[in-house]
Amino acid sequence: MIRPTIYFDDVNERQSLFHRRAFLFGGVAGAGLVALGARLVNLQLIETGRYRLASEHNEFEFLLTAPPRGLIVDRDGVVLASNRPDFRLLLAKDEHTDVDAVLSRLGVLIPMDDARRQRLAADIDAAPRKAPVAVVEDMTWEEFSAVNVRAPELPGITADMGEVRVYPFAAAFAHVVGYVAKVSARDIAKTGPNSEPIMLNPGFRIGKQGIEKAYDLPLRGTAGARKVEVDVKGRVVRHDPVGDIASIPGSPIALTLDADIQNRALEVFGEESGAAVMMDCRSGDILCLLSAPSFDANRFVKGLTGPEYRALADYDRKPLFNKALTATYPPGSTFKTMVALAALEKGIDPATTHTCRGAWPWGGRVWHCDKAHGTLDMHDAIKVSCDIYFYQTALAVGPDRIAAVARQFGLGQTFNIGIPGQKSGLIPDRAYKRRAFPRDPVWHPGETPSMGIGQGYVSVNALQLAVMVSRLANGAKALEPRLVHSVGGVVQASGAAGPDLAVAKAHLDFVRAAMASVTNDAGGTAFGSAQLGLGPVKMAGKTGTAQVHSYAGGRGAHGAQGAWALRDHAWFIAFAPDDDPRYALSVLVEHGGFGADAAAPKAAQLLRVALLKDPQVRARIVQPLPQAPATSPSPPAGTPT
Amino acid sequence: MTALAITRSDERERLPVKLAQIDWTFCLLLAAIAGVGGLMLYSIGGGWSPWAWKHLALFAVCFLVMIALAVTDVRTWFAAAYPTYVIGLVLLLAVAVVGHSTMGAKRWLDIGHVRIQPSEIVKIGLVLALARFYHTLPAAKARLSWRLLVPLALIGAPVALVAHQPDLGTALLIAATGGVMMILAGLSLRLVAVGLAGLFAVLPAVFMFALKAYQQARLLTFLNPEADRSGAGYHIIQSKIALGSGGLLGKGFGLGTQSQLNFLPEKSTDFIFASLAEEFGFVGCVSVLVLYAAVIFMALRMASLAHSHFARLAAAGVTVTFALCVLINGAMVMGLAPVVGVPMPLLSFGGTVMITMMVGFALVLSVRVHRYSEVGSGRGALV
Repeated sequence: MIRPTIYFDDVNERQSLFHRRAFLFGGVAGAGLVALGARLVNLQLIETGRYRLASEHNEFEFLLTAPPRGLIVDRDGVVLASNRPDFRLLLAKDEHTDVDAVLSRLGVLIPMDDARRQRLAADIDAAPRKAPVAVVEDMTWEEFSAVNVRAPELPGITADMGEVRVYPFAAAFAHVVGYVAKVSARDIAKTGPNSEPIMLNPGFRIGKQGIEKAYDLPLRGTAGARKVEVDVKGRVVRHDPVGDIASIPGSPIALTLDADIQNRALEVFGEESGAAVMMDCRSGDILCLLSAPSFDANRFVKGLTGPEYRALADYDRKPLFNKALTATYPPGSTFKTMVALAALEKGIDPATTHTCRGAWPWGGRVWHCDKAHGTLDMHDAIKVSCDIYFYQTALAVGPDRIAAVARQFGLGQTFNIGIPGQKSGLIPDRAYKRRAFPRDPVWHPGETPSMGIGQGYVSVNALQLAVMVSRLANGAKALEPRLVHSVGGVVQASGAAGPDLAVAKAHLDFVRAAMASVTNDAGGTAFGSAQLGLGPVKMAGKTGTAQVHSYAGGRGAHGAQGAWALRDHAWFIAFAPDDDPRYALSVLVEHGGFGADAAAPKAAQLLRVALLKDPQVRARIVQPLPQAPATSPSPPAGTPT
Repeated sequence: MTALAITRSDERERLPVKLAQIDWTFCLLLAAIAGVGGLMLYSIGGGWSPWAWKHLALFAVCFLVMIALAVTDVRTWFAAAYPTYVIGLVLLLAVAVVGHSTMGAKRWLDIGHVRIQPSEIVKIGLVLALARFYHTLPAAKARLSWRLLVPLALIGAPVALVAHQPDLGTALLIAATGGVMMILAGLSLRLVAVGLAGLFAVLPAVFMFALKAYQQARLLTFLNPEADRSGAGYHIIQSKIALGSGGLLGKGFGLGTQSQLNFLPEKSTDFIFASLAEEFGFVGCVSVLVLYAAVIFMALRMASLAHSHFARLAAAGVTVTFALCVLINGAMVMGLAPVVGVPMPLLSFGGTVMITMMVGFALVLSVRVHRYSEVGSGRGALV
């Protein structure tokens, strides 16, 4: 007989125990499920609003949209800086991004050499965190669509259309309008407008030079936002146009410049180095402000490579430098206009004559002139630019009076034209000598003759000379130069609003008449080189040749001889028409030699453009063609003509 | 009359009789849950691939296997109990030695082209082994005796090996299943109370010394998810957002932004309930919970109706595993429990767990089909 392992009563006890315990477990499990249900009531019914918000916060993101940058136009509305569409690739960078892998995958779609790849890797590395980086810009439409189609294979890469600044005239306005460039880490401030998140937007650029820099904030506008649905990696899944916030475009800026004149100026300079500043001598508006040679501002928008930048920076004609404002030079003989005015104001009779024999011994040394002019009065001394006459005139007037007149005409100061970078130059007098030379505080009489011909301590920039000749030509007003006509439609104060010149009008007329002789009378220094060829409309001017260094052997290297860097600077100041001045300008040709040869023809070219654009002046120039005698009979009546 | 036929020992061995005894309502409930799973996987996967068709295909295969196993005599299950357990344990040991490592944990074993997870085999094996052990144990001994060291050892060995992998969630699940089975078999409730008290007492020590850094982090994160929003707390926060934003009726099929835009982690596996909650809201969640409750209570009832102690305990053991899975996963998704890798059975995507659960339910159905069968004490009993 088999002994049972277990007895019936035991079997029954185990069964009933199991039933009780199973019932207990069922209760516990049921309670657990009810607890879960209660939790669901809490989460999904009571607090659902809070979680719904959190979900939307996850789902939607506002992506900043850069506002279109304000246009910059010339006085006629010709666009000098605008925006064009730019097809680009953005890389959403995070700490896991394998830059090499991304670039090699991109390389399949977009041709990329090693240099470009290295530069991109460096760009990506340098870009601020959290902000997508513009990896490739300026793609062709074909490249753009290729990437768009293959986007899923390129994690973190999105194709995007942005706007990029474009300067249609490339080089002509590079110094005045300046340029925008990529935001560097240094540009981002802790506070103020440069701390705004738009600074991190891919492809966002800020003004780095000229008007673009000085008026960066109004040009920038206000950023808007695109409401988009993003996935957990921040990739845009869908755009919700209803939620968009419109951006406010930047304010347009109208300059007083004239694109025709400015472009002509760049042409006439060619590869020569120098500056030209033309003003409307009735209003003070700057029509042309050129520094040559120039550079293509669009290259800076893209970002220059190291070698490109070095080539520009190392070129001895300094294309990056705004010579119209930043470079100061001795004004040379153009300064004789100021010396003459000072003499007239002191009461010196312009009929006073001095005799020039080509050399004049005074004060223990010999003072030279470029030739023996014979006996002349003040008018002829200006016309032939006799140095010896003005050595003596300056001595008779004294430095303080000359300086006072020169300052009244705008020399030795800077002007508020809206862009930075002006150098004030120097108009010396006795007070200056005391201040600047504590060891030798006395103005020596021997320093005055040099000042009389615009040498010595005297230094000016091209803008100052343009203001000087504009005030001379205006004949009444102390004109202020104006470069910015309006910002966002708000017209800036006119340059003609200032006070009158404290100089007798007769004296101004005398100097202007002398300047007319320089260009229009036989024997004038610019008679051969400054002809407008516009019939009755003529120009008036004054040459200047600024000595770069003292000639060791007397006059050996004068003019356009010798090494370029040692040649004299050529100046020419002019206004036209000589009988009814409207346009005034200064032209500087660095190391150009004689002002009459290098600078005056350029001045004539620029004035021609300005005069021919002026309808009133044009009306004087345009002559009716002689009518051919009416020999043929008139066409029969009824024939359509 | 089939109801009579099953009670007659000569009749109940016929296949049509057995098939008629299968609880088809229960099968329909399982299919309903798996169907909801397939629906959700279709939504978050954006179509039949990558998950939905695999999930439903596997369920169909498992369903047929389940029916086949359900008509297998419960005495066959009885005979296979210890061998299954031993095989599971040996494979677990093999994993510890030569297992396939994913994400720092050795959980998988590659046999040819098949990749198996021995911790799943051991789940069934342990249930069978414990039922087999208690089948011959008198009630008094089951309450409190030295013989209870055997079930403790049966539970302890796989728990230790699985925890070593490390797979804390599964280890805890196995331990809890074993513990509840001991209680169902008649363990002294006083002892249970003392044991739980002791467990809470040593918990801090376990936390400090036995857990790995990432496991500690998970627990701490559970206690304060906001402290680590982007790290371990991210799962819990995003899951709660998905649940809460679903509201009463949900965002609609395929419109759950949390899951569609991948804010929800592990959306196809451990956190699929959150996807469901987001798209179908409170109504959908409660409906699915009701389905789960029905499965649990029907299974418990089937266990209670069995005549043999082995069948009772085996069916109850499977039910306990299932119920614990549902409760733990639910609590985890709702931010009531730390994030442990326990999926929502039948709903979550994942082949091995599906197979385990369906084999388990085959056992439950088999227990019902063979509820009148007597199971002898058998040979090779451990006592």
